[in-house]
Amino acid sequence: MRRRISLRSRLAALVVLSSLSTAAVADETCLSPYTPKIIGPEDYVYVWTLGIEGLGDGSDKLVTIGANPTKENYGKVISSVSVGGRHEAHHADFNDDRRFFWAGGLDDSMIYLFDIGSDPAKPKLTKTITSFVKDSGGVVGPHTFYALPGRLLITGLSNDKDHGGKTGIVEYNNAGEYIRTLWMPEKAAYGYDLRIQPRLNRMLTSSFTGWNNYMRDFGEMLADPEAMKHFGNTMVVWDAHAREPIQILEVPGAPLEVRWALQPTHNYAFTSTALTSKIWLIERKDDGTFAAEAVGDIGDPKKTPLPVDISLSVDDRFLFVDTFLDGMVRVYDVSNPRRPKLVHEQKIGSQLNMVSETWGGEHVYFTSSLLSKWDKKGDENEQFLKAYGWNGKKLSPLFSVDFVKEKLGRAHLIRFGQDQFYKNQVAQSEPTTSGRVAALAR
Amino acid sequence: MRRRIVGSVVAIACAAWLPGGASRPSQAGGAASAARPATIGEAYTYAPGAFTPEYQVPEPGSYSLPVIQRIHDHPLIDAIRGETTLFSLKAGRMAVVAFVYMSCAEATGCPFSLSVLHRLDAVLAADPSLGSRVTLLTISFDPGRDTPRRMADLRRLHDPKSDWSFTTPSGEAALTPLLADFDQSAAKLRYPDGRWSGLFRHVLKVFLLDERNEVRNVYSVGFLHPELVLADLRTLTLAANR
Repeated sequence: MRRRISLRSRLAALVVLSSLSTAAVADETCLSPYTPKIIGPEDYVYVWTLGIEGLGDGSDKLVTIGANPTKENYGKVISSVSVGGRHEAHHADFNDDRRFFWAGGLDDSMIYLFDIGSDPAKPKLTKTITSFVKDSGGVVGPHTFYALPGRLLITGLSNDKDHGGKTGIVEYNNAGEYIRTLWMPEKAAYGYDLRIQPRLNRMLTSSFTGWNNYMRDFGEMLADPEAMKHFGNTMVVWDAHAREPIQILEVPGAPLEVRWALQPTHNYAFTSTALTSKIWLIERKDDGTFAAEAVGDIGDPKKTPLPVDISLSVDDRFLFVDTFLDGMVRVYDVSNPRRPKLVHEQKIGSQLNMVSETWGGEHVYFTSSLLSKWDKKGDENEQFLKAYGWNGKKLSPLFSVDFVKEKLGRAHLIRFGQDQFYKNQVAQSEPTTSGRVAALAR
Repeated sequence: MRRRIVGSVVAIACAAWLPGGASRPSQAGGAASAARPATIGEAYTYAPGAFTPEYQVPEPGSYSLPVIQRIHDHPLIDAIRGETTLFSLKAGRMAVVAFVYMSCAEATGCPFSLSVLHRLDAVLAADPSLGSRVTLLTISFDPGRDTPRRMADLRRLHDPKSDWSFTTPSGEAALTPLLADFDQSAAKLRYPDGRWSGLFRHVLKVFLLDERNEVRNVYSVGFLHPELVLADLRTLTLAANR
């Protein structure tokens, strides 16, 4: 009898644990499931920034901005770590324990490892990988950094033979040592983003374009019909564990960011296509294969607003879609993933690229830069980080940092940090912690 | 043979947590069996909701497992053998190495990895051809509390049928280089005033080592499943036999 009671109490405790796991916490929703999520509000926003010649030191840099409204540094630049030179800073992400931040340069394929864990207010550059192209056997343009236990998967955008779109996925261990290269399949040779749904053992990759295009002036490229032929039109479904491609999906128009649904019974992902301005649903069918379906337009596709980044809320309800050329964010209710419903739209700036929402969804951050040679010119070349509050209906401005005025550069990728997490402190914001933890400590 | 995994991770974790916790030594106190706060570490390491693996394990030998890193030898105290080393316990065999601490009650943390090793133990005992080439190693990263005696208690609970060692480092001096070598993070979770909460922040990792002490895979929730680990062990065996 005594044992039965004990078992019941433990089962009840397990239910409590499960329910607590959906409590509001702060983090972007697109992180690898293997990267720990931080608890409570974010203290810092990290922005991987492209240098601009003649502005400040002109170098690519990791910029840290205060995001805790109770502190004096709220909305201000706290620190900036330059890597020396311009390398087309683009995407970046944390490793599997969130203590290191890997950041890539699309032009010369440099990779920088920053120590975030030692002092989250002042990241330090601790290692530079200069041999990505040589290590990988010719992959160029490290884009997505995706943490797996003990290692990172890094997607490429190009190759060193013709600087076209044929590319691969490269694995490094957490120490920055090369493991292996997986070339994209012949019939879907282009690459861009990579995301895994462990529950299904499925990995999705998308496709963009090669160095010849992403390092070319945007206007010139648009006017070159031959160049416009060299964009990706496919996504690949992989066996994630075996790293074997198992299905190629036709998704015309350069499918970019991939976002798996987060709820445990949702077997689908979203992407957006840059050139055709559509939301695509990638869904598992009853037979286990996947189907890709265009489920909605983004703005007026005839005007080519150029959808870039997307962000899916933790409850799989809201899909934020940024469009670069009109500087708009559109929020879709995707409760029915086959019928996205536009519920809000707002102009954020003259140009707009990345969007990152906190895990709880209360805060949404935006940056402005797409690529150094694709960003707008003159007065329209605004460079910013803008923070907004989101109440489920509208976005309300919180703060803005002008990256030109601050002599920083082109603001690109956004990630979050927190003192409590990196100091390994118990989250005081959670009401259930203190008593039980204190009991254990005695 | 392709086996389809349709099982609940929560159910697996529960299976290990219940018997282990019910008989847990008294030092762990009542708190060890209580609802540990989900705020700490692993409850937020993964996407919301439980992972329920729904996939077919790849055919052993149909894929490759590249070397991720190389591990060095480290001193350990085994619950049965006393002072020894990692390599002595491994004895040139493949190894599945899991870092745990006994006070952990995260459903997707240490109890989960113990449950997976428990299942592997049963399969390896029933398959001598594979079992003779594999050893299981549970290593505590809480040597202050997880003494050899407590690890012996844990061993008795699991009553291993294959070669499954329950070990702990002699202290922090032995623990630090061991964790660094495996790249296994484990930090004491503290109150703002600096007191230790009794808990650790750690990322669940289970390591697959080949006969040459090279890491060939690292598992966490979603991919830490007995069928998948067995497929990897058989994949390495097939590669070694070629």
